[in-house]
Amino acid sequence: MQLSNSKTKNEIGFDHVVNNINVVTPFGKRRIKEIQPFMPGDEGYLEHTLSQLEVTLDMVEREPRKVDILREVFMEMKDNTFTIAHSANNILTVVELFEIKTLLLQMTAIRDNLISSTIPLPEEFQLHDLLELLNVLDPGKDRLNTFYIYDVFSEKLTLRRREKRKIELDLRKVQKERRRKVEADYGISMTPKFELPVSKADRALIEKVKAIPELMLSEEDYITATFTLKRDETVDLFQMALDEINEAIDEEELAVQKKLSGRIASYRSLLEENCNRIGELDFNLAKALYAKENHCVKPDITTEYLIEINEGRQLVVEEILKRKGKAFCPVTIDLKEGVTCITGANMGGKTVTLKLVGLCAMLAQHGFFVPCSQAKIGLSSYIHILIGDSQNLQRGLSSFGSEMEELRVMLEKSKDRTLLLFDELASGTNPAEGLALTKSLVDYLDKKPYISLITTHFDHITGMGVVRNLQVRGLADANFQNLAREIRYANKRERIEVIGKYMDYRLFEVDKDQEIPKDALNIAGMLGISSEIIEKAKKYMEDRNHEK
Amino acid sequence: MGFLSRLSSEYKRISIVGMAKNAGKTTTLNHLIEEAMDEGMVLGITSTGRDGENTDLVTGTEKPKVYLDSGTIVSVPVQLYDLSDAGLEILRMTRYSTALGQVMLCRVVESGYVQVAGPVNTVDHKKMCDEMIDLGAELILIDGAVDRKSIAGPGTSDAIVLATGAVLSRNLKKVVEETLHIVGLYQLPRVPDGSLRKRIEAGAVKEKIMLIKGEETRMLELKTSLTAGKFLDESIDEGTGWVYLPGAMTQGVIDDIHPAKLKQISFVLKDPTKIFIGATSWQQLRKRGLKVFVLENIKIAAITVNPYAPSGYSFEHKDLLTAMQKAVGNIPVIDVKSVF
Repeated sequence: MQLSNSKTKNEIGFDHVVNNINVVTPFGKRRIKEIQPFMPGDEGYLEHTLSQLEVTLDMVEREPRKVDILREVFMEMKDNTFTIAHSANNILTVVELFEIKTLLLQMTAIRDNLISSTIPLPEEFQLHDLLELLNVLDPGKDRLNTFYIYDVFSEKLTLRRREKRKIELDLRKVQKERRRKVEADYGISMTPKFELPVSKADRALIEKVKAIPELMLSEEDYITATFTLKRDETVDLFQMALDEINEAIDEEELAVQKKLSGRIASYRSLLEENCNRIGELDFNLAKALYAKENHCVKPDITTEYLIEINEGRQLVVEEILKRKGKAFCPVTIDLKEGVTCITGANMGGKTVTLKLVGLCAMLAQHGFFVPCSQAKIGLSSYIHILIGDSQNLQRGLSSFGSEMEELRVMLEKSKDRTLLLFDELASGTNPAEGLALTKSLVDYLDKKPYISLITTHFDHITGMGVVRNLQVRGLADANFQNLAREIRYANKRERIEVIGKYMDYRLFEVDKDQEIPKDALNIAGMLGISSEIIEKAKKYMEDRNHEK
Repeated sequence: MGFLSRLSSEYKRISIVGMAKNAGKTTTLNHLIEEAMDEGMVLGITSTGRDGENTDLVTGTEKPKVYLDSGTIVSVPVQLYDLSDAGLEILRMTRYSTALGQVMLCRVVESGYVQVAGPVNTVDHKKMCDEMIDLGAELILIDGAVDRKSIAGPGTSDAIVLATGAVLSRNLKKVVEETLHIVGLYQLPRVPDGSLRKRIEAGAVKEKIMLIKGEETRMLELKTSLTAGKFLDESIDEGTGWVYLPGAMTQGVIDDIHPAKLKQISFVLKDPTKIFIGATSWQQLRKRGLKVFVLENIKIAAITVNPYAPSGYSFEHKDLLTAMQKAVGNIPVIDVKSVF
């Protein structure tokens, strides 16, 4: 059973957070793809994961230099798990051996760095000691990140290579001697490459050179003829010896590669375990860095079913505001089993609050820290946000139709401990039926062991008595004179931002019978809808109130 | 002081550029490598293609094979490592990749033949060359993956060695003439430092034709200058002094410009490799008053001549060498097939 669908994860901003967790190793990237939520009953494991993150964050804050060094090593790392697995039944190539040596040096650097840290990280992040294997690949203990089938790997190889150099030298000596002799005997002079180019115009010389038995014609065009030394028996013997020794060297190199591959294979499980641990460490460091950057805190996990968020922030919206140089107005909210409604002004941030609750719950449940000053969270079995979706409209479904379709699915999937978030339910149909539907849904949800949070513009849906009613403070306390003045001097695009500035996004609990403040017409007026329309609308409102 | 020591005192990275296929580029490279062995200099050997063209990415497989002495630093992609006959110590796995896998920097431990390849991207290439210098290379020789003059573009290297030879023509005079044309183009005057240069550089990032008339700068809404001749002609009015062309300069573009206007303006190009005009036409255009400046020109460290053509004819070594040296003045000319 899944905790939520992908649309919910995307809408509340969970995907945004995950995408911004900056893991750098291939192992960390794999780890983040395997991210799984903790379900009710897993509270103990979740606590453990969160306390690991707490220690990691401690290291990020108190030993930033060490963290930088670790991340530098991380950035150089490549995914060698295939090569490690490959070593089991195959001879690794020189390049692969180089990569394993690099990996071992990196692991040693990480291990040393962690051991010397004043903040002991959890056992799960510590790496196994693979010094023994490193010494196999680096017997000289130079600890240089270079590789070749060096002479130290095999005495036989050393001898063979020495032999080869000697043969090459001897061959050159013999050739030089032959050239010297030919030059002396016939009074000619050859190039260091044992060549003799002769201009064809010089017929006499051509004839003379042609007659020299030690030389042969190697290249010819209509101007020049090039002669070289003929091979003789001695040269052929040397050549044969060289071929033989080259073959022996190749064989011995392969034997060394085979030996080294075998040793690597015998460490396979430890190597793979270390890769996983690096992935875990990378993932946790990235989470800790994100938590630090975004001022997230460790949530208290409780077995009770409740969600309490103090000064919570919705990270996606906060980032947009930050880019504009503005701050997010934090929201405090306590939710228990049952239905809670959020009412209040347009542009009052009701939808953002809805997403914020979903984000905090979802993050905590995946072992992340939470964007708020304090949080207490009980785990859910299912989380769903029902929110207008332009994609469904593109698919040709009416907004009401697709909303009802999704509502059916979400109610079917809900079971014990479910967090349901509704954004302006049934706003796409006629108000009378919409209100009726909302009221009856509230009655239905109230009997279930769910935490339901509903934003709405409908009055009195909370009439049943059990339901809690939260209201956005909105423009209630705003200085309207100042607001009106600012609006007057603002251009069209700035108006929305001016209103945002005066808006108080905080929530407070209100009496269930209290009327929802009617700010819509004021806001529409401020945004430049002509006064003719606004005034008439206000009159209609008065008439309606009289009728009541 | 040996020839290479002299080069390395002036330049760090030298591209070997062939005037044509089989002009002796690889011969030149091998010749310089032998020189280095004699002078005991540590060389860095790499090659490059040109950025932005698919064919080069594909023909990146056209890999030069060179005999390298121990100590040489060389760039070898992973897939070519095992094909090398030399013993190569892997020093570093770089982050640059080629069609043949990631590039590794190696030191030759046992002399032998190596298949060399390097990154195609100019920026990567420059960074990789710096790494090779870190590893101890005293001079880097860059072999273009494709025999084309355009790889000479400044940015890849500090200077070039231009390989020319009998392959260009059966007529020795023609070989000298063609080579001299390229030498002339590569050494076209730079736009001098100053306010005009700053204005052109600032505008050049937009990759549009730019007309400069006194203090006024005007951009034409044309990306390529290839078909822009007529339009350009109309846009040049009295007082237009400088015309910046972002793309190629071809005969067609110039032909569309009124002779009087041609005399009046000076063209500015990014670098000389943007010119696609033959030697004869170029001379005629110069007579008609064509003036060309470049933002960056190309230093020619040396010219190598190969008196042999693969199709079977050759020149007298001395004749070609003397004629070429006389034509190019103080640029050193070397006969790669020299016997002495």
